[in-house]
Amino acid sequence: MEKIRTFIEEQFLIEFDDTLPEYSNLFMEGVMDSFGYVQLCRFLEKEYDIAFTEKEMTSNVLVSLTQIQQEVSRKLGEKSAHQTPLDT
Amino acid sequence: MCGIAGLVNPEFSPEQFPSIITGLLSAIAHRGPDGSGYVMDDKFVMGSVRLAILDPEAGIQPISDEGERYWLCYNGEIYNYLELRSELEALGRTFKTKCDTEVVLQAWLQWGDGCLNRFNGAFGFALYDRKKKRLILARDRFGKRPLFYVQRGNALYFASEMKAFLAIPGFTFEQDPEQLRSILGQWTPLPDQTGFKGISSLPMGEWLSFEDGQAEHYTYFRLGFNSDTQIKNEADALDKIRSTLSDSVALRLRSDVEVGVYLSGGIDSAIVAHLAKTHAGQSIATFSVTFEDAQFDESAEQKLVAERIGSRHLARHIQHSDIAQACPEAVYHAEIPAFRSAFVPMYLLSKLTREEGVKVILSGEGADEAFLGYDLFKETLLRQEWDTLPEDVRGDRLKRFYPHLSHYGDRDRAALTGLYQQFSQEHMPGLFSHELRFQNGRFSTRLINTDGAANPFASISELIGSDGEFQEMSAVQKAQWLEYKTLLSGYLLSTQGERMSLAHGVENRCPFLDPAVLDIAAATNLKFDDGFREKRLLREAFRGDLPAAVVDKRKFPYRAPDTEAFVAECPEYLELLLSDTELEKLPFLNKKFARLLINKLFTTSPDRISTKENQTFMFLLNIALLNYQFVARKGLGSTTSLGRLPPLQRAVDLRTCNAF
Repeated sequence: MEKIRTFIEEQFLIEFDDTLPEYSNLFMEGVMDSFGYVQLCRFLEKEYDIAFTEKEMTSNVLVSLTQIQQEVSRKLGEKSAHQTPLDT
Repeated sequence: MCGIAGLVNPEFSPEQFPSIITGLLSAIAHRGPDGSGYVMDDKFVMGSVRLAILDPEAGIQPISDEGERYWLCYNGEIYNYLELRSELEALGRTFKTKCDTEVVLQAWLQWGDGCLNRFNGAFGFALYDRKKKRLILARDRFGKRPLFYVQRGNALYFASEMKAFLAIPGFTFEQDPEQLRSILGQWTPLPDQTGFKGISSLPMGEWLSFEDGQAEHYTYFRLGFNSDTQIKNEADALDKIRSTLSDSVALRLRSDVEVGVYLSGGIDSAIVAHLAKTHAGQSIATFSVTFEDAQFDESAEQKLVAERIGSRHLARHIQHSDIAQACPEAVYHAEIPAFRSAFVPMYLLSKLTREEGVKVILSGEGADEAFLGYDLFKETLLRQEWDTLPEDVRGDRLKRFYPHLSHYGDRDRAALTGLYQQFSQEHMPGLFSHELRFQNGRFSTRLINTDGAANPFASISELIGSDGEFQEMSAVQKAQWLEYKTLLSGYLLSTQGERMSLAHGVENRCPFLDPAVLDIAAATNLKFDDGFREKRLLREAFRGDLPAAVVDKRKFPYRAPDTEAFVAECPEYLELLLSDTELEKLPFLNKKFARLLINKLFTTSPDRISTKENQTFMFLLNIALLNYQFVARKGLGSTTSLGRLPPLQRAVDLRTCNAF
């Protein structure tokens, strides 16, 4: 999950600290733009081999680092629960 | 077209005025290389440099009324001057010249400030009442022609371009961090902003009276989008759009010199070129910029239009080296930080235009704002309905946005859905339509250190709050209003338009800014379609006159290579950004962020650089160059480089009334 933090910090030229905590809404803070948001989604899908549906994307899941990390963990858990023994 | 400048200053002695005014006029000599003139009183002096378009022999400025009480320095053109002149003659007014300048003077004397709403044109003027010692400054309704002013105590300075102030003894420029944050956030200045402390732009549609050291401001035109024009059906709409635009172009062909057209490759300038050719009844000249990089180039469509209308077509091919080389000169002429490099090719195009002997050009600016050409308007319509639309309709509409942006493709549909979900509700009161744009702007505002928690959007919120009718507008009308007040006047007409043309003594005219065109657009927009095929009625109105490839082409924003041109060429002046010592000269700059940005841009391939990063880089470069030229007075801003006075044709001293 540290990779997500690093990606966001490098992509948006920020540092998470006391003035910008990990739970900050990145849209409201003016950190996220359209290109950056799409890049972030592409990164998460490729890095963790997951795919977001349009429905998932309409429920405010990717607005803060904390939420992004939680959502990726949830999707990874979901993915592993659906894997059959043969998949492993 | 001309440039004007002057001052009211009780501190200077009248003996200083001739040298001061010739200094001011020399700095803006490029706006009017054909001649100059001035008038002075005991505490006042003003003058103009003139580009002779109408009645070249008799139009020498400043001009006065018969009794020599009122004196006018005028920059611009009133296209309906013949009709106004007839009206004034019928009222008993007499004329000595065939110039629109004299019509402006007589109209003011006849109707007072009531004349301003009668003017169909682009202007900025200064009118001095010798008896009352009162100065009037006025500007056109869309902010087409510039007029800047500074009030310091009992003194007032004014000029068509701020660089004239470089010639005022003791005058200093200082960049204003608060205004810069606002400009960076919005992408462009608001109508009164300049980026410099103490210097204001007279807002569009306003006039100012200065008497006894006091300035009073008045608004004569309020921007609105309600129309009383009755439209029976779509065929009627198409007829009226055709005839209104035809009349507008015909009015703007009134000139005693050859008129050309800037062809972008899009539908708007193609319509203007077609109508210009029709009314001129002879071959016209068309001018375009072309690019090596296909993502910016529209030469195929430019050629199609030129061939269809049989114009003498000339193109200025732009390479990275052209942009890097001409940028400092273009920034010096623009005077205000710009968010993209696309104005630099226009600087080079106007140079070519002038070299070809053409002094007046028509262009398509103003069409997208009037006829809802931008994706911003469609985006506003979609976001407004977002929560009520089924997934497939949202997807279908998203597909039609921003074809030039790779991240708006099918593969990123889910991500875009998430993005639009975040922007489906209004977070910034009144600014709903522009919230996505301003999100990019927020990134750029990080260049400027904040003293306290200043909100970069406080000024624009104040501006919309000051217009009583804004809140009553629809979301799309609010978007239009904001476009007229920011991107159109603050960049397209000024930095990319007027300032680049006049840098080489070329006057540009915009048929889509005619009040009648705005009215017919307001009367027909969204009446016969849902707005998701941009400018559909405008396209259909001229389908039979233009190549189908142009009529049916998607809106293609005019852009040019930004960061990549500078990184590839690495011109010497980039030292202003690469050297820590140079960056230290910008006291308000967030140096840590600036360095992170520069490092990233110099080590990232162009396709991975985002729009917001390109914009922020361009802003940073512009701010550094303006600091160098205007604050430090080096390069083009050094006092020794301020230009040469065009031939002095008139000098009047009202203290003795000796004139020649």
